[in-house]
Amino acid sequence: MATPAPSVLVAMGVTKSYGDLVALEPLDLAVEAGQRLALVGHNGSGKTTFIKMAAGLLEPTSGTVAVAGEPAGSLGARALLSYVPDEPVLYDDLSVLEHIEFTCRLHGLDDWEDRAAELLSLLGLATRAEDLPSRFSRGLRQKTSIVLGLVRPFSVLVVDEPFVGLDPPGRETFVKLMEEAAHDGACVVVATHQLDYAATVDRCVGLRDGAVVYDGQPDKVELPSLVG
Amino acid sequence: MANARSRQQALADLRKARRRRRVADFDFMEALYRAYVAALFGGAALWWLALRVGGKEVATATVGRVATDGPQIAGAVVAVALAIGLRSGGRGGPLALEAADVRHVLLAPVGRRAALRGPAWRQLRFGAVWGAGLGAVIGVLASRRLGGQWPAWAGSGALAGASCVDGALGAAMAVSGWRLGRRVAGALALAALGWSAADVLLARATSPMSWLGQVLLWPLRWRPGAFGGVALAGLLVVAGLVALGGTSVEASERRASLVGQLRFAVTMRDLRTVILLRRQLAQEGARRRPWARIGAGAGRVAARSKPAVVGTRRAARTGAPGADGSGDHAAGPRYPGSRSVVVLSPLWHRGSQGLLRFPVARLVRLALLGAAAGAAAEGAWQGTTPLVAAAGLALYVAGLDVAEPLAQSVDHATLLDGYPLARGAVLAGLFPASAVAMLVVGALGVATAVGMAGGGTQALAVAAVIWVPASLCGLAGAIISTVQGPPPLFSDSDLMLPPEAIGAKVVLRTLWPPLVSTVGVLPVLAVRASPTDPVAAAVANAVPVLVLVVLVLVWVRNRERLHAAFDLALGRAGAGGRVPDGRGA
Repeated sequence: MATPAPSVLVAMGVTKSYGDLVALEPLDLAVEAGQRLALVGHNGSGKTTFIKMAAGLLEPTSGTVAVAGEPAGSLGARALLSYVPDEPVLYDDLSVLEHIEFTCRLHGLDDWEDRAAELLSLLGLATRAEDLPSRFSRGLRQKTSIVLGLVRPFSVLVVDEPFVGLDPPGRETFVKLMEEAAHDGACVVVATHQLDYAATVDRCVGLRDGAVVYDGQPDKVELPSLVG
Repeated sequence: MANARSRQQALADLRKARRRRRVADFDFMEALYRAYVAALFGGAALWWLALRVGGKEVATATVGRVATDGPQIAGAVVAVALAIGLRSGGRGGPLALEAADVRHVLLAPVGRRAALRGPAWRQLRFGAVWGAGLGAVIGVLASRRLGGQWPAWAGSGALAGASCVDGALGAAMAVSGWRLGRRVAGALALAALGWSAADVLLARATSPMSWLGQVLLWPLRWRPGAFGGVALAGLLVVAGLVALGGTSVEASERRASLVGQLRFAVTMRDLRTVILLRRQLAQEGARRRPWARIGAGAGRVAARSKPAVVGTRRAARTGAPGADGSGDHAAGPRYPGSRSVVVLSPLWHRGSQGLLRFPVARLVRLALLGAAAGAAAEGAWQGTTPLVAAAGLALYVAGLDVAEPLAQSVDHATLLDGYPLARGAVLAGLFPASAVAMLVVGALGVATAVGMAGGGTQALAVAAVIWVPASLCGLAGAIISTVQGPPPLFSDSDLMLPPEAIGAKVVLRTLWPPLVSTVGVLPVLAVRASPTDPVAAAVANAVPVLVLVVLVLVWVRNRERLHAAFDLALGRAGAGGRVPDGRGA
């Protein structure tokens, strides 16, 4: 019998409230290395809240989120977790290549050029590498954000609504890149409304009004009700 | 360790690269033009201020009083700055990072203190320059009335100003980094204010805030112990820099987004958006439960009935029941089980309930603004004429808060269009509730002014006469600003104007609301000029101010019709001009 992979992203009794509003009920979740997990649920169900807590952008009201044993948001966790937001946030005065260079160097990566060139080529940004993303369309900015999320080393990849604004080839490439990352041992957590993508992952967690209502393999019967 | 150093080097290189690009994009001529305009307007303002303030030197006894009591009063201003800083720190301030810095730098495995040190130094530098500049100007102006060498005044003013601003910033950073939270920050702010108030009341300089006040007044009386205030401000800065590493990323992200929007709104001179964003930044939301429910039963009934006041007016036009004010609407319909005796106007009800949902912080701010307006008016009465502008500005800012129900209606134009009333009628109908609140704010100013004047029947009588016009005019200025909204980037009428005139028009449009608010305080100067019968002078000058308030209300009520008529007169209705909606008729 195979030994289960260790859990690299662990949430224990994590909650988030804004005053009287409960954004996330107590949530327990352990995601193993190499696992692809889809977080599904309607708007306001708590997907982004959880993703942001794992990335260290939001602080839990109670409970803990740990990345390979390190508290989310700590120096160690930041080195291990890569976050691709739903809304790309980029500097207006740096080119795509400069973004990549500084992201890699901030993560202590010296040998980054080959990987960067590969990602730029796969996502169709090779000819735009010297351009400022402030002049890009929404889709190109999203692709830049994806490159920045994948070019650095990580053990956990958390992605929020990744397909918004992406063209079909871009979407297909990104799905493949996420599969590769999982194959290389990273755990990949994706918050999405896309049922066709959710149907392909290893595990699906459904959230409704901040509470987990489904946790298991993607079920084509259950999925539409979870999103709708 | 080497890895941490290389990451910090990467961060330094990132900032250097961005600076390089900014410098490359720098438009020298544009910057020169801006500096020229700033110097022109700033110089003119200073010249005017210097002329107004420097009438004559005050008596020796007054100088002695300023030397004795001044440090505590200046210390109270420092305490307010410190309280603002502490409050900002309790909410994650004062740093306002770029959103991209939060995402790419704060989420990178780089020490937070190292990542935030640069922005923190920038903010401290900026604060020191502005604080020193403001302090120096105050010092120079003071030298003209209190005597002494202006360079000494400018130097002590600059030191006090820079220490005050950077001390407040340091305190904010320390509170934010140590995560002391809103309650502890609020308690510390109250303690600072209380200590300073005790100094003022006991006429003793025991607090570091009063020591900074002593620094400001060094040219009058040299007190070396006042260095303690400067040293403590420096300690607060050090504490803030040490605590930086604990700054919340969640708060940084929230502030990054809001501050970005805030800067854009400032660029567009959109004051209303600035106010709303600043409230979000300070997490100053409306209370879920109002402090009180005025005519709660009546309000519920009113919601199911026709508008009482407007309905009565309409009835008067049509001759329908209720025209004489004694009909069902005026007396209030009785529903089984209802506690209502009088049906309130829905607009009055909407206005008052909105005002009764003001959070504590806004109420405290209004009280402080009222007191500041009173203190400034008293200062103007005593001879410092420019303080009239300070009093008017305080009332204008208070008015912007108090006009909130009306501003909400302007914000939600779709809702406004849903009422079976002309827009102007709704907006004018929201005035009474705000006016009552503004009179309360003004009353605090009256109490402050009379208290500072040492009481007396005459002072009370004069203040009572000026109270109503000054308060309502303060509100009127704020209402003008709210109703007219931000200046359009370009309007049809600009086609007929030369560029210089368009610039002057924009300046005038921006300035005239606070000017209207200031007009309400001008009777103070008339009173000062009539020492034999100040009450009669106050009454004589209050009347035109009240007429101005009425004119503003008439303008609010009929603004759309006036604009439509103007557009029609220019023959542009069919060519992109405003089209009268007929609802104003």
